[in-house]
Amino acid sequence: MSEGSPAAARRASRLLRWYPRDWRARYGEEFAELLIADIGERPASWRRHADVAISGIVARLIPTGLTGHAIDPADQVRASLASLGCLLGVFLSVGMAMWSQLAIGWQWSEPDATATFAAMVLMSGTMLVFGALAVLAAVPVAWRVATRVAHRQSHGLALPSLLFFAGAAFLVIGSRHFSNGWPGTGGHPWAHQGLVPGGVAAFAWASTLSVSSYWAHPGALASFPATELAWMAASPVAIILLLIGAARTIRRTDLSPRTLRYEAVLARIAAVGMLAFLVGACAWVVNRGFGPRNLFHAGAIDMAGLIVMAAALVVSYRASQRACHGSLGLPDR
Amino acid sequence: MTFVAKETPRGDQRGPAEPLGTFGRYAGPATLILASLADGSKHGYALTKDIEAFAGVRLAPGTLYEALSRLEGQGLIQAMESHDRRRPYRLTAMGAATLRAHLDAQRHVADLGLRRLARSSRSWGPA
Repeated sequence: MSEGSPAAARRASRLLRWYPRDWRARYGEEFAELLIADIGERPASWRRHADVAISGIVARLIPTGLTGHAIDPADQVRASLASLGCLLGVFLSVGMAMWSQLAIGWQWSEPDATATFAAMVLMSGTMLVFGALAVLAAVPVAWRVATRVAHRQSHGLALPSLLFFAGAAFLVIGSRHFSNGWPGTGGHPWAHQGLVPGGVAAFAWASTLSVSSYWAHPGALASFPATELAWMAASPVAIILLLIGAARTIRRTDLSPRTLRYEAVLARIAAVGMLAFLVGACAWVVNRGFGPRNLFHAGAIDMAGLIVMAAALVVSYRASQRACHGSLGLPDR
Repeated sequence: MTFVAKETPRGDQRGPAEPLGTFGRYAGPATLILASLADGSKHGYALTKDIEAFAGVRLAPGTLYEALSRLEGQGLIQAMESHDRRRPYRLTAMGAATLRAHLDAQRHVADLGLRRLARSSRSWGPA
């Protein structure tokens, strides 16, 4: 750094750390020069710090495909889809916990509030849609990955696929095991009463045991069996591994423009589904029709869940928008 | 993912570049940068000073470089060779066309607003 005091150069160097490495490699030197000049003119400026921090975070978000930067259209679609997949994972982790809570209540008695009834119908219908979308989205990706493996061109896909399958296997096996402790009636392929098959509801409950208000009550948590506590701590890790594996697989799979456009349409539908699910969850929590016998009680954890789901939905909508935007720039339309 | 501008900008492949309106909150800074570069190449500090002089706005360093990187990515500006650490930028032909179209649209809105203000000046209520 040719000009400015060593102290200004050090401060500029510290500010540069907000940016990712490849951004620094491209713009670092010239940006540092500008920062040194700016520090020389305005030695103390919290606005400069805030501005650099925000811009640095935006630069770090470029690979997610959520910013408005011009990147290759195929990269844009893949990155947006990967981001949407992760956000949907977070959304469903919280949403399934709420949904399974309602399913448990319904095993014992039908809700006496219309809003809770409608919420459960809407949330259950949306879960079905999510299941169908997951299959429709996964088939072309799985086919492409399998083709590459068959042609011994799986470079870069082995680790993400391993992460995905390891996370999924751990989650499925663990959820199957812990669903034995489901507080619903169980025992029948279809529930005695209610909308959701007992096995499905029990699986959803067990896989989201970690989404619990018990974390705020260590005394009560200490009375849990050690294996259940271990599961509550380990299952989120499995979900994270699964999502990282899925996101990296999507980003590294060279899908055709036609398939990417198809996936972008599915992303749009998924965002609409998230909105429908959130509307259902809100109807339940806001209506406060918790009867009979307080079976459908919504607590602070459900309020917090709504906030997390709303935040995930907002960013997911942006991701689906960017995926569609990128798909418009793909060749062979 | 790299931050180097593509040799063939997107606009050259698929018609005109995206309008500056898609820059979101960086549309304003991007317009000021393009306007500043319209009379010759400048590096970051010179851009800041020029924009401050003609628009009365001091662009913060982070905002300036965020807008610069987006403009470069869209092929609206181009980085030039530099012998020191301050790299100058210049407007591309596409950048000039985009700036012209953007300013024409803004002038249309300004003209329309001023005409309406002049027509309706008698109908305003008290302050």
